[in-house]
Amino acid sequence: MSEKISRRDFLKLTAMGAATTAVMTGCGPMSRYVVRRPYTQMPEYNQTGESTYYASTCRECPAGCGIIVRTREGRALTIEGNPNHPVNRGRLCARGLTAQQGLYNPDRIRAPRFQGRSNPATPGRDLTWDEAVQVVATALQKPPQRIAFLLGLAPDHLYDLVSELTQALGAPPPLRYNALAALEGRTTLIEAVRRLFGSPALPYFDLAQAEVTLAFGADFLQSWLSPVTYTRAYGAMRQGNPRRRGELIVFEPRQSLTAGNADRWVPIVPGSEAHVVLALGQRVAELRGLPVPEAFRAVRPEEAAQVSGLPLEQLETLAQTFATATRPLALVGGSALTQPNGLVTAQAVLALNALVGNLGQPGGVFLSAAAATPTPLAEVKALVERMQAGEVDVLFIHGVNPLFEVPAALGFEAALARVPLVINFAAFPDETALKSDYLFPDHSPLESFGYQRSLAGSDRPAWSALQPVVVPLYDTRATVDVLLAAAQASGQALLPYRDEVDFIQQKILPLINAGGFYTAPEILTFWSRWLQHGGWWTPAAGLPTPTLERLPASFGTLTPPTPPAEGAFYLLTYANHLGDGSGANRPWLQELPDAMTTVTWNSWVEIHPRTAEELGLKDDDVVRITTPYGSVEASVYRYPAIRPDTLAIPFGQGHTALGRWAEGRGCNPAQVLPAGHNAAGDLAFIGTTATLTPTGRRRPLARVESKEGVYGEH
Amino acid sequence: MAEERPAKWGLVVDLDRCTGCNACIVACALENNVPFVGEDEVAYGRALYWIRTQRYWEGEYPEVTPTFQPVMCQQCGNAPCEPVCPVYASVHSEEEQINLAVYNRCVGTRYCANNCPYFARVFNWFDYELPEPMRSYLNPDVTVRRRGVMEKCTFCVQRIVRGRQKARAEGRELRDGEVQPACVQACPAEALVFGDLSDPESRVSQLARSQRRYHLLEALGTLPRVTYLKGVGNHGG
Amino acid sequence: MRVKKSWWQSGGIRIAAAFVFLILFGGAASGIYLSQIPPEQPIAFPHKTHVALGAQCAYCHPAADWGPNAGLPSLSKCWGCHQQVQKKSPELEKLAGYVQRNEPIPWVPVAIQPDFVKFNHQPHVRAGIACETCHGPVSQMTVALPQPRQNMGWCLDCHQRMRPNDFVRLSDCATCHY
Repeated sequence: MSEKISRRDFLKLTAMGAATTAVMTGCGPMSRYVVRRPYTQMPEYNQTGESTYYASTCRECPAGCGIIVRTREGRALTIEGNPNHPVNRGRLCARGLTAQQGLYNPDRIRAPRFQGRSNPATPGRDLTWDEAVQVVATALQKPPQRIAFLLGLAPDHLYDLVSELTQALGAPPPLRYNALAALEGRTTLIEAVRRLFGSPALPYFDLAQAEVTLAFGADFLQSWLSPVTYTRAYGAMRQGNPRRRGELIVFEPRQSLTAGNADRWVPIVPGSEAHVVLALGQRVAELRGLPVPEAFRAVRPEEAAQVSGLPLEQLETLAQTFATATRPLALVGGSALTQPNGLVTAQAVLALNALVGNLGQPGGVFLSAAAATPTPLAEVKALVERMQAGEVDVLFIHGVNPLFEVPAALGFEAALARVPLVINFAAFPDETALKSDYLFPDHSPLESFGYQRSLAGSDRPAWSALQPVVVPLYDTRATVDVLLAAAQASGQALLPYRDEVDFIQQKILPLINAGGFYTAPEILTFWSRWLQHGGWWTPAAGLPTPTLERLPASFGTLTPPTPPAEGAFYLLTYANHLGDGSGANRPWLQELPDAMTTVTWNSWVEIHPRTAEELGLKDDDVVRITTPYGSVEASVYRYPAIRPDTLAIPFGQGHTALGRWAEGRGCNPAQVLPAGHNAAGDLAFIGTTATLTPTGRRRPLARVESKEGVYGEH
Repeated sequence: MAEERPAKWGLVVDLDRCTGCNACIVACALENNVPFVGEDEVAYGRALYWIRTQRYWEGEYPEVTPTFQPVMCQQCGNAPCEPVCPVYASVHSEEEQINLAVYNRCVGTRYCANNCPYFARVFNWFDYELPEPMRSYLNPDVTVRRRGVMEKCTFCVQRIVRGRQKARAEGRELRDGEVQPACVQACPAEALVFGDLSDPESRVSQLARSQRRYHLLEALGTLPRVTYLKGVGNHGG
Repeated sequence: MRVKKSWWQSGGIRIAAAFVFLILFGGAASGIYLSQIPPEQPIAFPHKTHVALGAQCAYCHPAADWGPNAGLPSLSKCWGCHQQVQKKSPELEKLAGYVQRNEPIPWVPVAIQPDFVKFNHQPHVRAGIACETCHGPVSQMTVALPQPRQNMGWCLDCHQRMRPNDFVRLSDCATCHY
């Protein structure tokens, strides 16, 4: 065989060997596989090998934390908190820290596109932006009453522009919806503030200086209003107060992260929060020697004890703790509001604060500096009805994914099919985007200009600025620019703005003389400082003090919760670090263990271990949860800190679209939620009951609490 | 140039402030190019968290409460991982007074992980490729590890080195709090404090003298550089 | 009696084994050789000419003074001089081509360390180390040449010559590897 190898072959083989060795050893010649392309023109802000930092605003949730993005050679590397920003003071939560996984997500929509909604007669095709602007311009010329805008809670500048646009057109004002806001009962809170204090603002609770805090349903450490602000305040409340370590008592049927950190968790019957607050209010007033307001007399303490399952003597102890505290504070949100009694609870809790006189006091209640926009499900419902009736010719969607976030029972999907023209500005191919006619992708938040009014978490008036930290990666365009261009192309003089930056500059113009911590003689200098600092705020803390003229005689009708039928359970859902579900395509948020259960990458259903034992269920058994509105399947997680008559499913998983990391994981509780709403128009799902059927299958959950892994367990 | 004093880096974890929100895990992962491994690999116990939150349930319903304890490499002064490495990849840094995982030396025997009482060391069982264009966010200051290499918390030594080089270039000493690992920088509750333990006036030194202090598995004599401040409150916080 | 040879003692196998060894050895030798010759560059940039005309290293690679990478000059920096200097040469025409197309020049780096080595120019430059100490006599090179055996021993060799208490710091693994 040796004679078969010619000299020529030998040389060939040697060369191959050389190449292999060169690759394998990776020495020296490695440089040959690297190419360095220097700038054609070095930007003046760039120094080779040095990071450039840009101040911007996080848009992963509506709170509006200030971020500083570290970039190098035009790439966004890490997200850090803006140390001067009044909302987060340099701190960030898990969601904000993964924003670059959204920017560099491989599943982004990369160019404008016509989809044809899988109609074979109209095949999908890519468009140019000129065509896209023309499509929007034509859509804007439809009869104004038949145009609808559905927006998310961020960014605010787009909402402001669309508000002006719809006003100029004579169309109905834009509607906002966001699952996070729906789950935290934001609309109910705003409505309660409006009823008691006269302005539709969000309350700001000075948790940092409070000494005894009662929290009704508000999971402020993970999802409520502004988690970073309140987590910062929580830290200060525990160890930063020179007077005493603050005490926290949480009332909710399922222990959230906040209740887990509380000194005391009171698992009352879901839907009985209003009864408890009213009864507490009576006793607090009596203990403080005040006349008991009429509205608090709606419930007798014995009745409250019976409805909530909280013994009278415990109620008494809690009332005494609260009434005798130097700086008492009561918070309300989440499961205490998203129920038929929600508006009563919200008003009662705010009135309880007024009763102990902490309005505008350190450790008390303040109001956000500007009006907050509500996000009522009731109006989404009205929109769905209009869509069903064929009264909507064109629907614009931005920053919200209604097919995922809105309870399926509302029938949004069927209604969407009846709208002849759906234009979606989504950056990702989410459920709604796939059912839209046109995709006109907006930039990623890290490529965008804009502003967000920091309402929920700022102790002072604050506007948070967004600016692009990298050049747009793909052929995307800012939605504000598209709308402005379309408004121009439609031939009517609708809006007096040249482009997005011009619009923002005109909107922030009044801030020059509004007493901020910097100012400038004219807008261009002001603009550069606005971008440099990442927004505008006042130098000193200060928010409006709520004033209570007089309490209404009644907060509204009170319906006691109906106990679940035999074999049924209360069902609730809550937001964890995946937020409204848009975080499900960030792989690191998927990989992040849920704080309480340590489950990653999937959904689960929380069942009390005793209940599970009665039903013969073990961890990881797949069960089917059925409500009158639908059913979902999930693996059992035996959760020791939930009422035995309650089941809980986290929100955020169960995507059928949204890219490789989100699709086909877990279940979406929006499939089983009712479409009902409370008196404020907010989603009301607490009190929904569900039945549970074992499927006989097992699906292990990837839990981090087992260091050796869970696959070996079964 | 200012006279140099070797620093003794230390971390204080105030469990009374810690809420268990896990922001530290993500901050760490994205600063240090820690790959995500996917559901199956997590279920096999191969997740690569450099810092994790240990959650323990205490009590019986309805008095049940979780306690959270973030655990990262304790940077032991007397580290069990160091003497077992056959290739000196797990060595003690004299300069930074921390334990190192030298990736280019590591051959993947995993002896160090087996000897670590804190489960702080994690192993790259596979190459975890990032799809384009996700590689763009990788931090150029930190090595991207490949299959078969142990890794662990470094106290963000890249930030320490950078900070010291910057201070030296400006002819001054590092200020207290100037260098912070990513987890400390992100922590919303300010439960994590980092600094120089050899400076008695630094914030971390002051906190480390607190009456609430303890070390993990103190009886093993590992001399950890991470101090925990125990939670107070009805259930131990 | 004839002793039966084992299979590995047969001539064919031995010759084949010799070939395999030769191929691997030759491969390794040429691999090492390849690592010591300069890679092909898009433009045969003559360092010699530029240094002879008085250009300082830091004029084109200024970032060595403040950061880890020395950096490569931007196209506009090259053209800043070369649009004045109207000298005809095929290499300069290539440069003009890149400028016309506004296209970055795809340079192939010569002095390069693997990902797990974090070299920082700045402290070395500040300590007064001349560029030639590590990069060789660039003033006599046309395209930059790789320097042989720039490995860890080579780094430590120099670090060892520092003051004794500096050597502890400079020989620490975490100085370069993290």
